[in-house]
Amino acid sequence: MSVLDSIYAKAKENLQKVAFPEATNEKMMQAAYETGKDGYIIPVLVGDAAELKKLAEERGYDPSVFTFVDINDEEYKNKVIEAYVAREDTMLKAKALGRRMQDPLYFAMAMQKVGEADVTFAGIDNTTGDVLLAGQMMIGLKPGISTVSSIGLADIPGYQGSEGSLLAIGDSAVCTNPNPEQLASIAISACDTVKELLGWEPRCAMVSYSTLGSGSGELIDKVKEGLRIANELRPDLAIDGEFQLDAAIVPAVAAKKVNRESKVAGKANVLIWPDLNVGNTAVKLIQQFGHADAYGPMLQGFNSIVCDCSRGAPVSEIKGNVVISAVRAAGSKK
Amino acid sequence: MDRKELEAKVIELVEISYGKNKGEVTLETSFKDDLKGASVQMVALVSEIENELDAMVALQDAAACNTVAELVDAVEAEM
Repeated sequence: MSVLDSIYAKAKENLQKVAFPEATNEKMMQAAYETGKDGYIIPVLVGDAAELKKLAEERGYDPSVFTFVDINDEEYKNKVIEAYVAREDTMLKAKALGRRMQDPLYFAMAMQKVGEADVTFAGIDNTTGDVLLAGQMMIGLKPGISTVSSIGLADIPGYQGSEGSLLAIGDSAVCTNPNPEQLASIAISACDTVKELLGWEPRCAMVSYSTLGSGSGELIDKVKEGLRIANELRPDLAIDGEFQLDAAIVPAVAAKKVNRESKVAGKANVLIWPDLNVGNTAVKLIQQFGHADAYGPMLQGFNSIVCDCSRGAPVSEIKGNVVISAVRAAGSKK
Repeated sequence: MDRKELEAKVIELVEISYGKNKGEVTLETSFKDDLKGASVQMVALVSEIENELDAMVALQDAAACNTVAELVDAVEAEM
């Protein structure tokens, strides 16, 4: 069973409500419909309900698959606003929130914040910047996390690591030049993400061109400081480094280069890049020379799951990301 | 609200969002050099401005401000 097959199977075990604020978009509505009809999620379409129902009918979809939420329903909107502002971990007050909720993206995230939805899935009409801003404003970041970031999942033919052919890698998409605090946030969030999605016990390596001081300089100092902060914030997680990539994932190399106890060296299942130059190039290398399938990027660091898909994404990719986000949401509640 | 009152209010909101003590922030305070904040603090600041001043300043516009004085200009333009 491929990794995607097992994620699809997991989704059926614990159905999550996924809010779609861009369901007027044909591809988005199709992805919501097909994942809903096949029993992977409960699709909640957020927008002008009359327009959404009309579009669903025109597109030949059985409306009973969807839950429609009308952003013009003042009674429901006020109920969500009341619940939202009653929470201590929110930024907006009622008036500002009401104004923001004229936008379905903000309406959906307000619903998510108060438990009316488990995930918000957007990004086909809104830009990544729009989704990240709304997520930070409405959902907020987890305590101790200083940045939104992302990880991807690589399925690499011929690679036999501690999770078979799978390796989680990040950040290859969002945080361009993380400072030590942000690097720590990326590592911590990545550990939580793989736990939520795959049920792995994370073993996270902070990757560098040096292994335990074999090199020196400011680039390595940043990674070391990021590691120190990560260990201080989350001593429960196995995060270690700084390691060169081979020392992180190859037991024989780790045995030679890492002359101390490590739960991670040689058997890392999560790799954290020092910056986006490395991360982006690494993904391309894995894809081009390793012929890997790369899933993601999955946004992480938010208090609950926010998903941004590529604006050019085909329906098949959107569906995969919808199901992944639903499984993460279910996993995050454990 | 006149310009002086607006300046005082924006300075207060910057202090709240960036966890600074009263009096630590002035119109000349630089976001990049003095406050060194992460984007999440700028999001909090934009939210506070919406809450308290009823002005929706786009995050990218706020993030483009070098100093607090420039942010006051941006807020004033939205009021």
